[in-house]
Amino acid sequence: MTMYKRLEGKPTRILEKIKESLDRLNEKMDVMIEIQRHNRRENQAIPDVLDVMTLLSLPDHLRKTAVTLCKLGQATAEEIAEQTKRARAVESGYLNQLVLMGYLKKERRGRKAYFFVEKEAEG
Amino acid sequence: MGKIIALHSYKGGTGKTLLSINLASTYVKREKNICLLDLDFRAPSLQAAFKTNDAEYWLNDYLNGVCEIDKVLIDFTQKHGRSGRFLVGLANPTTEGIREMSAKDRKWEMRALGRLLSLKTSLLNDMDLDYVILDTSPGLQYSSINAIVSADIVLVVTSLDASDIQGTQRMTSELYDLFEKKTGILMNKVPAGILSSRKEREKFYKYFNNLHKLPILEAISCSCDVLRAGGTCIFAEEKPEHSFTKAVEKIATKIERF
Repeated sequence: MTMYKRLEGKPTRILEKIKESLDRLNEKMDVMIEIQRHNRRENQAIPDVLDVMTLLSLPDHLRKTAVTLCKLGQATAEEIAEQTKRARAVESGYLNQLVLMGYLKKERRGRKAYFFVEKEAEG
Repeated sequence: MGKIIALHSYKGGTGKTLLSINLASTYVKREKNICLLDLDFRAPSLQAAFKTNDAEYWLNDYLNGVCEIDKVLIDFTQKHGRSGRFLVGLANPTTEGIREMSAKDRKWEMRALGRLLSLKTSLLNDMDLDYVILDTSPGLQYSSINAIVSADIVLVVTSLDASDIQGTQRMTSELYDLFEKKTGILMNKVPAGILSSRKEREKFYKYFNNLHKLPILEAISCSCDVLRAGGTCIFAEEKPEHSFTKAVEKIATKIERF
């Protein structure tokens, strides 16, 4: 009751907050569904090699990000976004999704996060 | 900045190699600096056309990380007395070389893609070339898809064979479109009668433009002279007035505006 009173008079703000939370939740759900779907499709193959056959099997939005990263070698979400003309936050989501799928690696250097396919030293 | 052009086809024997060589030669005559690379590791052919087998390093070595690309390239500029630079990179034609390439795993192919993608910097930027032309192996193979991903423009060579046309349509929707490549079709070995009049020609272009949903850059007439030469004659250089040379010149001009 106290909480209701505290929020009273701010219905628009509350709705906006709820919408924001739901959007975030939806994004996370999308990532999880995509990972599950992909794991099912690839469960017989080696999942962590980003070769051209894997690129062909990716959904369009992730393929664009993955091909751009292959071209750049390593990049931040911002650098990828410059090439794909999509928002940085969108690319960040896709890159993290590709990391979770095992195709990319991520490394923090200072305040920036760098994504790459494979380090030369690991070859 | 220069462009990378990949010549690809669904089936073998469509004329990719002959067109690659003559397209390269046409650009060299136009004072463009060119590099022609044989990416058909299962059936290398450029060594036969350029009558050489004495490469110190092959493209196989470059993709294996044994050497850099400049070690692979053979300079044919002076031999052919052209205006632009004419560099050629050969694939290892020995049985051992072909066997070794066919046994590569997915991780190697992934690194090979990285090496091919870096050609944009090493050949177009550092060596200041105008065009890099990739002659690929037919169908859906690692080496050809790697080449397509690395290219700016894809030229698909197709004949009038029904299976070839169907395969090309499939590759358009399942390969070239997925990688968002600028793609053009070259109809090769078209029986001369089909293209006899202007009206017939227009009808032919309209039909295949609609069928492939891609621009038909040129319809090249079937020529006994080309077959008779057996792939050893560079028409653009040796027969400048031949209809095949004229067709390749039109293709070169259309690519420049593509």
